[in-house]
Amino acid sequence: MNFLRGVMGGQSAGPQHTEAETIQKLCDRVASSTLLDDRRNAVRALKSLSKKYRLEVGIQAMEHLIHVLQTDRSDSEIIGYALDTLYNIISNDEEEEVDDVEEENSTRPSEDLGSQFTEIFIKQPENITLLLSLLEEFDFHVRWPGVKLLTSLLKHLGPQVQQIILVSPMGVSRLMDLLADSREVIRNDGVLLLQALTRSNGAIQKIVAFENAFERLLDIITEEGNSDGGIVVEDCLLLLQNLLKNNNSNQNFFKEGSYIQRMKPWFEVGDENSGWSAQKVTNLHLMLQLVRVLVSPTNPPGATSSCQKAMFQCGLLQQLCTILMATGVPADILTETINTVSEVIRGCQVNQDYFASVNAPSNPPRPAIVVLLMSMVNERQPFVLRCAVLYCFQCFLYKNQKGQGEIVSTLLPSTIDATGNSVSAGQLLCGGLFSTDSLSNWCAAVALAHALQENATQKEQLLRVQLATSIGNPPVSLLQQCTNILSQGDKINRRGSKIQTRVGLLMLLCTWLSNCPIAVTHFLHNSANVPFLTGQIAENLGEEEQLVQGLCALLLGITIYFNDNSLESYMKEKLKQLIEKRIGKENFIEKLGFISKHDLYSRASQKPQPNFLSPECMIFDHEFTKLVKELEGVITKAIYKSREEDKEEEEVKKTLEQHDSIVTHYKNMIREQDLQLEELKQQISTLKCQNEQLQTAVTQQASQIQQHKDQYNLLKIQLGKETQHQGSHNDGAQMNGIQPEEISRLREEVEELKSNQELLQSQLAEKDSLIESLKSLETSSGMNEQSSEAASIRDSEQIAELKQELETLKSQLNTQSMEINNLQIEKQELLQKAEAFAQSVPVPGDSEKIAAKTTDVEGRLSALLEENKELKNEIKSLSEEKTAIKEQLDSSNSTIAILQNEKNSLELHIKDSKKEQDDLLVLLADQDQKIIAIKKKLKEAGHPDEEEDELIIPVGQDDEFDEDEDDDKNDIEGDIQL
Amino acid sequence: MAYAYLFKYIIIGDTGVGKSCLLLQFTDKRFQPVHDLTIGVEFGARMITIDGKQIKLQIWDTAGQESFRSITRSYYRGAAGALLVYDITRRDTFNHLTTWLEDARQHSNSNMVIMLIGNKSDLESRREVKKEEGEAFAREHGLIFMETSAKTASNVEEAFINTAKEIYEKIQEGVFDINNEANGIKIGPQHAATNATHTGNQGGQQAGGGCC
Repeated sequence: MNFLRGVMGGQSAGPQHTEAETIQKLCDRVASSTLLDDRRNAVRALKSLSKKYRLEVGIQAMEHLIHVLQTDRSDSEIIGYALDTLYNIISNDEEEEVDDVEEENSTRPSEDLGSQFTEIFIKQPENITLLLSLLEEFDFHVRWPGVKLLTSLLKHLGPQVQQIILVSPMGVSRLMDLLADSREVIRNDGVLLLQALTRSNGAIQKIVAFENAFERLLDIITEEGNSDGGIVVEDCLLLLQNLLKNNNSNQNFFKEGSYIQRMKPWFEVGDENSGWSAQKVTNLHLMLQLVRVLVSPTNPPGATSSCQKAMFQCGLLQQLCTILMATGVPADILTETINTVSEVIRGCQVNQDYFASVNAPSNPPRPAIVVLLMSMVNERQPFVLRCAVLYCFQCFLYKNQKGQGEIVSTLLPSTIDATGNSVSAGQLLCGGLFSTDSLSNWCAAVALAHALQENATQKEQLLRVQLATSIGNPPVSLLQQCTNILSQGDKINRRGSKIQTRVGLLMLLCTWLSNCPIAVTHFLHNSANVPFLTGQIAENLGEEEQLVQGLCALLLGITIYFNDNSLESYMKEKLKQLIEKRIGKENFIEKLGFISKHDLYSRASQKPQPNFLSPECMIFDHEFTKLVKELEGVITKAIYKSREEDKEEEEVKKTLEQHDSIVTHYKNMIREQDLQLEELKQQISTLKCQNEQLQTAVTQQASQIQQHKDQYNLLKIQLGKETQHQGSHNDGAQMNGIQPEEISRLREEVEELKSNQELLQSQLAEKDSLIESLKSLETSSGMNEQSSEAASIRDSEQIAELKQELETLKSQLNTQSMEINNLQIEKQELLQKAEAFAQSVPVPGDSEKIAAKTTDVEGRLSALLEENKELKNEIKSLSEEKTAIKEQLDSSNSTIAILQNEKNSLELHIKDSKKEQDDLLVLLADQDQKIIAIKKKLKEAGHPDEEEDELIIPVGQDDEFDEDEDDDKNDIEGDIQL
Repeated sequence: MAYAYLFKYIIIGDTGVGKSCLLLQFTDKRFQPVHDLTIGVEFGARMITIDGKQIKLQIWDTAGQESFRSITRSYYRGAAGALLVYDITRRDTFNHLTTWLEDARQHSNSNMVIMLIGNKSDLESRREVKKEEGEAFAREHGLIFMETSAKTASNVEEAFINTAKEIYEKIQEGVFDINNEANGIKIGPQHAATNATHTGNQGGQQAGGGCC
């Protein structure tokens, strides 16, 4: 703390010494007194001394005061006094009020004092945490000084205090609660605290936004009456700006939270609203700036464009345009509104189109663009307003080919309104270009250049513009008129700096001629132009002319670089010789370098908005600085190249172009083939699909066929059975149904009879043999006559019996054989009958019974026949179906074959194209070799390598070429994958 | 755009587990393979539909690095949902879950819905943490669990939506105080109008619809 003593030492004088003692005593009381009342009184006394004896109180009492904060939290009164005292010590606010009367340099040490005390206070980070916890105290006497103290600390050593708050748990969240405080003073001072807290600290800004800061601040602004609100609105707007500026995450959150929509009512400033208080102007200014923060050209393009869209959709842009066209709006608000509209429409087609359609409420209505341009070329309008209009016009044309075309077309002969009733944008620009006001010249030239920016069509269209000069003289082209003014400009007396006019015109010409060989030819066609330029560059003029010389050099360089050698007298080579003879290469390059070395150049290259400290500084246009960057290098190279190199380069260029054309030809071919391939692939896939469908159909049908076959077989078997049945029936039918049964019965009978007969015959044979044996017995035995006689009697009786028996048997046999015969006859008859029946069907009904039976059989037969027929029909239809299915199968098989053929041909195709691509690759390799050879040649001609690469291939094409090669490779790889 | 509810989410977890990729996949349906360290926090938003209601999700993707821990803690209190992410191919990121969970529980409101996410499920061959382990951890600590792949977009949508469903259910049950915005829940302008005036519902709705 030595440094503090040093500060103190300088100031300490006699009377203060006693005060210092008093302070010491008070501090002792604060530290040692056991009674709260005593301590409180002591702190209160310190507070009253703290303003006047800030240094002394600070040095001696801070420690004790912090101790009070830690220990006496229960008594809000003493805490309040302590905080007040600390605030008085640390804050410079009170001092400043006192110092107002004093000398200015006396504020210096007091500022240091504040930061030094802050440094002491935050040396213990817990002190900040303590302060944060005290802010939770609702008591007004604690919270309010606490807020003020913390704000002061943040103002002195922002980054350090921010860091401590950031790492203390819920630190930021607690501070956010201040916005919800019902006591306005605290809420308002809370806003100021948050302002200091969020200053250039992205992390805190995000946390504050996360804690619903947008919602709350927008609510406060609405409550306070938007722009009509007081300084609170201003503070809220400043805080919003802190939160949003350069913080993409918060901007995204703001947009996603639909807060853009809530900005629209801010700009509902009615015409009748006559009051434009200073506060209102400030508020509106900040509101406009907040809109600009969201659509700044320096934001990421995606973020800006989505905000631009939202602003159109919610009607914010429309609202801003009404302010633009309203009367009675203060100039600086109008200027800022124009700047805001500019950035809301910049590069956003929808918004640009809307802007083009805005009309001023005049009679007859005029387009807003025309009204604005009138202000731009009006020398009585404020400078900043004219700059804003130029910016607006530039933003309207930025990446807006349609708008560029519309502006240029108002200058073309066919569309100019001959009646002259209404002024067009083109007329205003021409008027500005040739007016006697140099600022108008510059603005009009730059505005016109923006209508040509990156738009080759409009560069050529503008060549058609003819200007009517004094009566009797032929019309002069716009290009001619511009160069005339350049070369003879000194004749006209102009308001303002002559350099501005010439710089403006030269910038216009450079933009116009770059990338447009036709315009270069037109320019060179005027034989006075080149001598004028060389003259300007060669002359050894004063410093203020250096810029014009540089621009002339740039223009001359453009006429060389973009020269297509269509003019015999001003071929590239001849112009270069001219430079070498009249100016000298080194000199030329040096002059060219003057442009980018100019003081104002870097400022203009930073931002698109034309923002000049004073009218004299209006020299460079942002887009033009881009052009200079792009062309400076290539022109330098072009100038240093020798004729041979040029020629070689030409040749190389030509061959390259040839090769390029071949390559592009093949590329196109490949592309076409790719397309074809794609189509064919699709065809294949569809055919495959169809094929699959057909195959499934075929398999279905095959299974059906199988089913049918099975059925058919089943039927066949059934049929077979039935036919067998039918066959037997048929036989029977042929022989007359009943007869076979009879016949079989008869046969059985016959059979029986036959067996009977056989039996009888065998009996007969037995009897015969018996008789025989008996006879032999009779003859051979004589000794037993008696017995034999009796026996013989018995025998004879027996014989007689036997004979009788025999006789009966014989007769029986006879009758039986008779019977057999009869039966046989009958059988014969029956057979005959059957034969007859068979020969003549239907059988003539011999008997009723048979006839009936026959009809019966016949009925059954016919039924069977019908059944048979039906079955046959069924078989027929089945077989028909079968053949049909077979046909279908064949046809689908053939389609499959066709598909396969197609597929094969496609594969061939692919192979062909692969081959072609391979050829191409070979060709490319050849070309590479050629290029290498040429490079070698160049090397032999004695030039360093580094330059050569770029010599051979013009910048820009170089990259494209590489990319193309890559593309080819990719294509090939892609194909291989196929 | 009109919404019925607005939920605030935070995404937390070790560095490099794919928090930003999950957010990018959810909001832009893109995958960025290059690891670009998040500084502090980044914001993203998307609209989803649950139960026929439009719900706006505002998501704060936090930096996983230790040095940002104090900053990211500030976001716990105001969030209604948290996605706690680990990398299934790095066990240490799983081991740190307890620390993360303690931190979250300490600084958030008690009703905050936490969804545990095992990210990079497409890298099955390099897996170090089994799905079952994740499930077990979630069960133990009362979290919802899912394995996702920000690269293939697998389950990403579901992770965000299921968390929202859980919050939505808690609202229906009356667990959340929807009028306290510090809970990370906000009623949409349309909804608020209908809630505030039960009579004249239509007028409120029309006014709400018109302003958005």
